[in-house]
Amino acid sequence: MKVTELTKRYDGKTVVNGVSFEIPRGKVLSLIGPNGAGKSTVMGIISRLIARDNGLVDFEGQDISKWKSKELSKRLAILTQSNQIQMKLTVRELVTFGRFPYSGGHTTAEDKAIVDQALAYMELEEFQDRFIDELSGGQRQRAMIAMVIAQDTEYVLLDEPTNNLDIYHATNMMKIVRRLCDELGKTVILVLHEINYAAFYSDYICAFVDGEIASFGTVKEVMTQETLSRIYKVDFEIMEIEGKPLSIYY
Amino acid sequence: MKTANHRANVRKLIIMAVVVLLVAAAYLLVEVNPKYFSFVMSLRIPKLIVMLIAAFAIGGASIVFQSVINNTIVTPCLLGMNSLYTLIHTAVVFAAGSGSILAVNANVSFAVDLVIMGVAATLIYGYLFKKTNHNVLYVLLIGTVLTSLFGSIQSTLTRVMDPNEYDTLLTTLVASFSNVNSEIIIFSLVVLAVIIFVLRKDLALLDVLTLGKAQAINLGVDYDRSIRRLLLGVTLAIAVATAVVGPISFMGLIVANLSRQLLKTYRHSQLILGSVFFGMITLVAGQLIVEHVYSYSIPISVFITVGGGIYFLYLLLTKRRI
Repeated sequence: MKVTELTKRYDGKTVVNGVSFEIPRGKVLSLIGPNGAGKSTVMGIISRLIARDNGLVDFEGQDISKWKSKELSKRLAILTQSNQIQMKLTVRELVTFGRFPYSGGHTTAEDKAIVDQALAYMELEEFQDRFIDELSGGQRQRAMIAMVIAQDTEYVLLDEPTNNLDIYHATNMMKIVRRLCDELGKTVILVLHEINYAAFYSDYICAFVDGEIASFGTVKEVMTQETLSRIYKVDFEIMEIEGKPLSIYY
Repeated sequence: MKTANHRANVRKLIIMAVVVLLVAAAYLLVEVNPKYFSFVMSLRIPKLIVMLIAAFAIGGASIVFQSVINNTIVTPCLLGMNSLYTLIHTAVVFAAGSGSILAVNANVSFAVDLVIMGVAATLIYGYLFKKTNHNVLYVLLIGTVLTSLFGSIQSTLTRVMDPNEYDTLLTTLVASFSNVNSEIIIFSLVVLAVIIFVLRKDLALLDVLTLGKAQAINLGVDYDRSIRRLLLGVTLAIAVATAVVGPISFMGLIVANLSRQLLKTYRHSQLILGSVFFGMITLVAGQLIVEHVYSYSIPISVFITVGGGIYFLYLLLTKRRI
């Protein structure tokens, strides 16, 4: 998956300006940057939720807008921040929706088996008959991830998956992201606010400032004192823990 | 996936269907003088059919509408869709004159109204949702303003009319329960059948659409297209209901929410059926009581509006999130 010269304007204001990068297959890529840097917009464009004004999103040799939405939904899954589901939906029913691209409303025995696996993988079996709106934030997020797993796509796009989660649940979420990549072989792209989660759990980082890419590379390449200070305009100190660069800002 | 909840809901729906049949039978047969049996039937059967049509249109449209805009306290009527229809109908008769075929032939007039309604509502409400970004409070606020605006324009038109013309028109202008529009029964049934046929695929997508725009697109649904088509269907269904029995605000709100409370499911096939059955029971039983207990002194719309208003407040107060 490769994006070239992406541009997006809102009311005459350019929020994404000539962004080009290639998404490394089978790796975890984090998009970071200050508020309004355009990272969520880029995520929206590559997941076809937001229309772009200019540029290309090449997905497996074809522009993403030329793909049939249904075919795309078997290869690319998106999870956004806003998941207020108003319906009375149980965890199991939600996860079953992940099979919709394959079998529509009529689930087969194979779908059922895949849903069972997804529930087991996210350790949600005991909650499977609970209604979504009765769950805690962390459990609900896990249920959404289980749905993505049931969708069985190679690419998984997560828009701020740690938002509104406490440290315990946010850290668990990042561990799950790592497992999606390492155990299930998925390519995961996520938007993150917390730099150290990006540093500790991803393979590559793409940092945005003012709608442009400020830095793109492996975690070690991006997590330097100069780069981070330039992006966030505060003082940084880089330490190394378990061989990974972590930052302290003040 | 046939869960216990699913089976329980099927049972509930069957019970409701039986209640509908019982109420309908009661409506036809209560206090019938055998001597005038066929005469009474010729009055009651069309009225019963009209009420069932209205209940079907309002009950179905309300659930679909709520799911489309992802909120359970908003209904098409609260946003002024039935006022819009009344306004269009008045405006057409006003412009064409009471002697023209547009006013005299109920079916022709209905067809013209439907077309205008489809276009006008799609433009107005499409713009409204886009502009407010589906923010329910703004939608509700603007909808309330629109309701009064349409109502005011409509009453202005009737005041400007020639009094004689207005007098002759008064009975046909706005339908009500004591003055149902039974001339267009067949046309209404055809319209509803066509709506369901054309939208059958979009209706099947409703379960997914309620997951929200991002999730629906993620699962490969052409969200914007389905929403547009469903909204048009809702508009036309409301037009049908308003044409046959006149405006009844709060009816959709009551039946849709009762259905959601009773069935506690996301399956729209069940929710819509439940809402339709509740609508039929409310209208037919209500009319039965109005005719035989209050002997027409209080129209049923008063009960529905009062009951619905209280229920609306109850929903506002008890819901954790609006």
